[in-house]
Amino acid sequence: MPSADLLNRLQALVRGPRLRWAHDPQLWVELFVTSNLAILAGDIFIAHSVNHFAKAAEYIPLYFSLAAPLALGVVILLRWAGGFEAAWRDVGYLVGWLAVLVGLGGVLYHLGSRFFLDHTLKSLTYAAPFAAPLAYTGLGFLLLVNRMVAPRSADWARWVTLLALGGFLGNLVLSLTDHASNGFFLKTEWIPVVSSAFAVGFLLVPVSGSVTRRYLDLCLGVLAVQALVGVLGFWFHVRANLIEPGHSLWDKIVNGAPPLAPLLFPNLVALAWIGIWGLAPHLDEGPGISWLGSMYRWVHPEAPESGSSSPTAQEFAD
Amino acid sequence: MSFRSVFIAVVTAFALIVAAFLINRARPRVETEQPTADFVRASGKCAECHARLQYSVVHEYEMSAHAKKGVNCLDCHQPAAGQKRVDHHGFVISDHLTAGNCRSCHEGIYQEFLRSRHAAPSWAAVHGEKGLTPAQVAFSEQFQPGGTRRPPNPLAVPEGHPAVTSGCEQCHAIGKPNDDGTIGNCTECHSRHTSSVALARLPTTCGQCHMGPDHSQIEIYSESKHGVMFAAQRNLLNLSADPRSLTTRDMFVPTCATCHMSGINGLKVTHNPSDRLSWYLADAISTRRPNYLQAQINMKQVCTQCHTQAMIDRVYVQADQVVASTNQKIASAQQLMDGLHKDGTLTGAPFTHPIDFTYFNMWHYDGRTSKHGAFMGGADFVQWHGNYELLAKSVELQHQAEQLRREHAKR
Repeated sequence: MPSADLLNRLQALVRGPRLRWAHDPQLWVELFVTSNLAILAGDIFIAHSVNHFAKAAEYIPLYFSLAAPLALGVVILLRWAGGFEAAWRDVGYLVGWLAVLVGLGGVLYHLGSRFFLDHTLKSLTYAAPFAAPLAYTGLGFLLLVNRMVAPRSADWARWVTLLALGGFLGNLVLSLTDHASNGFFLKTEWIPVVSSAFAVGFLLVPVSGSVTRRYLDLCLGVLAVQALVGVLGFWFHVRANLIEPGHSLWDKIVNGAPPLAPLLFPNLVALAWIGIWGLAPHLDEGPGISWLGSMYRWVHPEAPESGSSSPTAQEFAD
Repeated sequence: MSFRSVFIAVVTAFALIVAAFLINRARPRVETEQPTADFVRASGKCAECHARLQYSVVHEYEMSAHAKKGVNCLDCHQPAAGQKRVDHHGFVISDHLTAGNCRSCHEGIYQEFLRSRHAAPSWAAVHGEKGLTPAQVAFSEQFQPGGTRRPPNPLAVPEGHPAVTSGCEQCHAIGKPNDDGTIGNCTECHSRHTSSVALARLPTTCGQCHMGPDHSQIEIYSESKHGVMFAAQRNLLNLSADPRSLTTRDMFVPTCATCHMSGINGLKVTHNPSDRLSWYLADAISTRRPNYLQAQINMKQVCTQCHTQAMIDRVYVQADQVVASTNQKIASAQQLMDGLHKDGTLTGAPFTHPIDFTYFNMWHYDGRTSKHGAFMGGADFVQWHGNYELLAKSVELQHQAEQLRREHAKR
């Protein structure tokens, strides 16, 4: 059958030497962090343009987001193309720790914009988004995890999933405070709050205990909804900005609904997917056949039917 | 898939959602129950920037009655009818607020103000009808005859534009015609972000303009028993009392606003001080206002909140006598000046001869001071700053007139 033939050819391509790099979860995490830091440069530029970079410290994340992806890009190339492990490791540590510091410092600065003056719910709502800088901290931790925990281990996969969970928790707080500043005037503004709560709830289980691949199927379903919510939110934000007053499109983007914010949802779905994919070989199939297990075996036919035979998975189940 | 996993996931998610709802519910309703999302955002977003840029503005607003009642920045700063719309960080605002913004909530007060001499007549006292529409002039003339349909002040030309802008207009702009078709700005007395009743009740607020030799009300008040008691007991007064329920318990010592505007002990509050003024005391020769009797009744009603009728009547009789006597002195001077003009002794534009200033100072400074002093309990201003100066200047005027006539005869 032509479709079966197509699938066979696709499978051969996926397993073939040309896409061997794509089987390396460490690389995916590195690419995720690098691309996110680069995107954050644009996001920070928009966000801090609101007050025209009034404080010199507001340039720190911008410069960091411009420099870090370049540094990471170089060492990723060095490691995966040239085999220079040490440079990749050390630069990654440096960028990772700096990102953690930039994020934590940013939280203090954001809260300092108002919340530290009067500790009220109102000031928390209207202060600069205090959870936003934690994106840097999360990305920094990802770089550290990628270097400090053995890749392909259940531990590594759980840490990556935990950081994705943290991202969704951040999304919950961000969408709650950001939409609270409009008083949730449109009921649709509750969608990201509710959806990210489900993402947190569902990702919490594989991070904190033993689950089956069938459960991860459910997680993937929840994540698919997150991606949809993100795309829908992006459209809502863009549309709101087009309608809202402003003397230019730039003015509308800077002062209106942050257009990139909803795209955090599909972005985090990608990270969670890396974590869940990494967890798959370490988990039992459970009763019935899981979509995730089938997919994993399709990509890795050499993998055992159930992850229970893997020592790491066994250890995890214990 | 185990039930345990699903249970933990759903319960966690639900707990987070409930927590989010509860946190949102904990917000004050005044912040969230607004007509549009922009108004909700304005309840905190404006302060986020302006607390850093102009902290005092935000702080003053937060102390204001407006803030306590949930009136937020956009309520006042949204463009009123006829105002230019300006995009401002995601909001559409007016960059120049006028009485047009205040009237959207305080229309009755604005209408009272519009009928007062604080409105168009105040502006016209400097600029004449310039800048006012025929409709605005006609409207004001109904209530303040001759106050607006008048030529510009003759001093404006010789003193020059900078003096008018930085001097005269600083006070007379209280009646400035605005681009949006309204007149004046309530913030002249209530300030911008405090929007304060207490501020408007302070004598020093009125004294920003009602001071100096030409209308020395604040100096007279400070000398009067009212002013002395205010200085001593200011801290005991409730200057912030609600105008609708203000009593002599709140303001047992009067300030300018108490007598001229406030609705003390149930009396009608007014933003038209003319409602309680029976004479045109600022004129060279004072005449009775069209509402002379009613205005006197209105003011005496205020006086009776603290004083006996006999005392009030005595003050009015004595003050009326000072008005009549001052009128007589100014009329003589005016007659003398008219004579000089008539026989050609005095020619040229106003304020070009020393005698012009002597006469002007006589009625504009000393005459007014004498009359205001009589009504406001300023004995020293009736006598030394008023009548004594009147006497001195009338002698000087006659001396200058004789000299001019001699010089004219020689020519």
